[in-house]
Amino acid sequence: MASSSPTDPVPGGAVIPLRDPEARARLYEVARVGAPLLLAKDRLLPVPGPLGALVPELRRGMVVTVTGAPGGGATTLAFGLVAAASVAGEWAGALCPDHTLGALAAAAAGVDLTRFAVVRDVPLDRWAVVAAALLDAITVVLVEVPRGVRAADARRLVSRARERGAVLVTLGEWPAAAALRIHAEGGEWNGFRMGDGILTSRNLSVRVEGSGAPLHGLVSLAS
Amino acid sequence: METARTLCLWCPDWPVVAARRRGDAPDDAPIAVLERSRVFACSAEARAQDVVIGMRRREAETLSPGITVLEVDPSGDTRMFEPVARAVEDLAPRLTLERPGMLSFPTRGPSRYFGGDEKLVERIIEVACVAGVPDARAGIADGIFAARLAARRGVIVAPGETSQFLAPWPVGTLGDEELGSLLCRLGLRTLGEFAALPAPSVLARFGSHGLGMHRLSRGEDEHPPSLTVPPPDLVETCELDPPAERVDEAAFAAKVLADRLLGRLEAMGLACTHVVVEAETEHGEHLARGWRHEGALTAAMLAERVRWQLDGWLTDGLRDRATARGGLTGGLTLLRLVPEQVIPATGRQLGFWGGDAAGADRCARVLARVQGIIGPENVVTAVPQGGRTPGERVRWVPWGEPREPLRPIEAVAGPVHSEVPSWPGAVPGPPPARVFDPPVPATLLDATGAEVSVSGRGEVSAPPVLLRSGVLVRGGGEITGWAGPWAHDVRWWDRRTRSRCTYWQVAVGETACLVKVKQGQAAIEAIYD
Repeated sequence: MASSSPTDPVPGGAVIPLRDPEARARLYEVARVGAPLLLAKDRLLPVPGPLGALVPELRRGMVVTVTGAPGGGATTLAFGLVAAASVAGEWAGALCPDHTLGALAAAAAGVDLTRFAVVRDVPLDRWAVVAAALLDAITVVLVEVPRGVRAADARRLVSRARERGAVLVTLGEWPAAAALRIHAEGGEWNGFRMGDGILTSRNLSVRVEGSGAPLHGLVSLAS
Repeated sequence: METARTLCLWCPDWPVVAARRRGDAPDDAPIAVLERSRVFACSAEARAQDVVIGMRRREAETLSPGITVLEVDPSGDTRMFEPVARAVEDLAPRLTLERPGMLSFPTRGPSRYFGGDEKLVERIIEVACVAGVPDARAGIADGIFAARLAARRGVIVAPGETSQFLAPWPVGTLGDEELGSLLCRLGLRTLGEFAALPAPSVLARFGSHGLGMHRLSRGEDEHPPSLTVPPPDLVETCELDPPAERVDEAAFAAKVLADRLLGRLEAMGLACTHVVVEAETEHGEHLARGWRHEGALTAAMLAERVRWQLDGWLTDGLRDRATARGGLTGGLTLLRLVPEQVIPATGRQLGFWGGDAAGADRCARVLARVQGIIGPENVVTAVPQGGRTPGERVRWVPWGEPREPLRPIEAVAGPVHSEVPSWPGAVPGPPPARVFDPPVPATLLDATGAEVSVSGRGEVSAPPVLLRSGVLVRGGGEITGWAGPWAHDVRWWDRRTRSRCTYWQVAVGETACLVKVKQGQAAIEAIYD
């Protein structure tokens, strides 16, 4: 412990005065063991694309629900959240009992299709087991919530996500707690009228309910 | 250690023969067996009409209008080949399957026993004939590569004369198109010319793979034999309890086993080129069969071969327990993979930006577990491919299978000239987030309440006004915007598979969807959610 300065920074960030070397060594050891393994910034996954303006990042272990009427843009928003895993270079997965997710739309939202596994045709009685298994290893798991999911199962998935540090994104009515609730409120499509033009873009109106006041915003989705 | 004398038995056009045996194809008509839209094998009748292997499906159908086209079914082909393999196994136990329709074994023992190479070849052909393959061909040479070519000619190459035998063959027979065409452009057209190059120069110019090809062309084994003795403890075993009676149960266990074996080999820096699949049944029967691949086997390829083999054993044996000869009479209780030949792995370059290898491994394990819960075909990843509609433009590949598109997006280099496919009538705009397969029934009505139809010339009967369907909010309603129609006349040259339909982009309020109208029936194919 030959140090020229009277004080030395400890890994925790505090500064302690120079006393006897033995005590310092013990203190360093305690500080090393006690230091958090994961820094807070490592627990965040930045959300890419236009949705990032409203939801800058996802925290590992959180549950996000996305709701909206059919055609209201909920699926596209959910893909935007899943893309956070691809940006971090990690795996994403989806549990889609009726297998209707459009892979090209996912790719357009920024999801890396080589690291995006989709589990389809899941019977209702296996749904919770499969979702829990996916949360074990996959960073962002998108689940479509079928009708008739028990609240107890949902709560178990919430705690599984927290324990494993995975993000659970649910699509549909979610009967348990969630850190973030995103609601797609629809929006007009641009680019065509009665019989001419093609579908080009949409300004999607989005409401985000988190810990603070609800946030409203427009997310523009272009082709 | 010199190159082992090897006998190769080749059943020409095996996929075609097997398809005819299964009753999938007519006996005296042209047949093409396709793999990913390219001709993989064809019958003699098709060949007479200039159909060649590697051709696109469309070209084959143009040359031979009445041709029967089938998809390749390797596990079915293996199943049909099993009786032949069993019959040959009675004479030569150390038999290895190269692929369905081709097998090989070292001749040292059998040849001495039957009194010489000629007698052995006669005997093998006779046995194959009895097993139902009258046109099988066999050849003997030093090393499996030369033996395969000898089988094509049906000749026996005297010991030590293999390099002379190989010399006149074109370099394309090496099976590496890229190297073959490069060598041709360098003016080296035959194996003899390639073999005449000094080995160090070949290594310097073409790398270790090129050196392997050079060894082949000189009549040696691709990999130096001193490196191919596997360490003894690499055998992977798994017990099945309850015994597996269905192929998919056993195949799933085999996949785990294959992953484990290759994982361990990889950790030792080795790759496997020849593996023996062994199985035991509840009645104590013991079966073993070797499989070889020229390149190193990947986990998916190994699992695939084990699956073919299990299919051959289980389906054959269990269908007819009383008469099963050499097949299985009970479920499998034990499965074992024994690497027979390993080579140093040439290594795999990791992605430049790293990537979390441990995370990917963990993920692979979890996905395999989920496959165990709900079936292997229900865990998929998406591969973009060529096509017109959102559904066509994605291929869902089960986890663990090679991620390759069926229809290329870009032109691919192939043995036959290939054009960049264009997809006239492809629906433009952003891709829809919900794709229904099959499409959801709907009604598309005009102002008078009649269904909107499109004539053969693409004329719309009346502009659409109302769209109704169960998947829309409140069952649909008045149309607020529409575009199209995009007319598709798919496969117009084939009366049986021709399909004509039109696509429309339709917005009802804030919901936009893709509507398909076929024969007056509207259906919602996708929703822009």
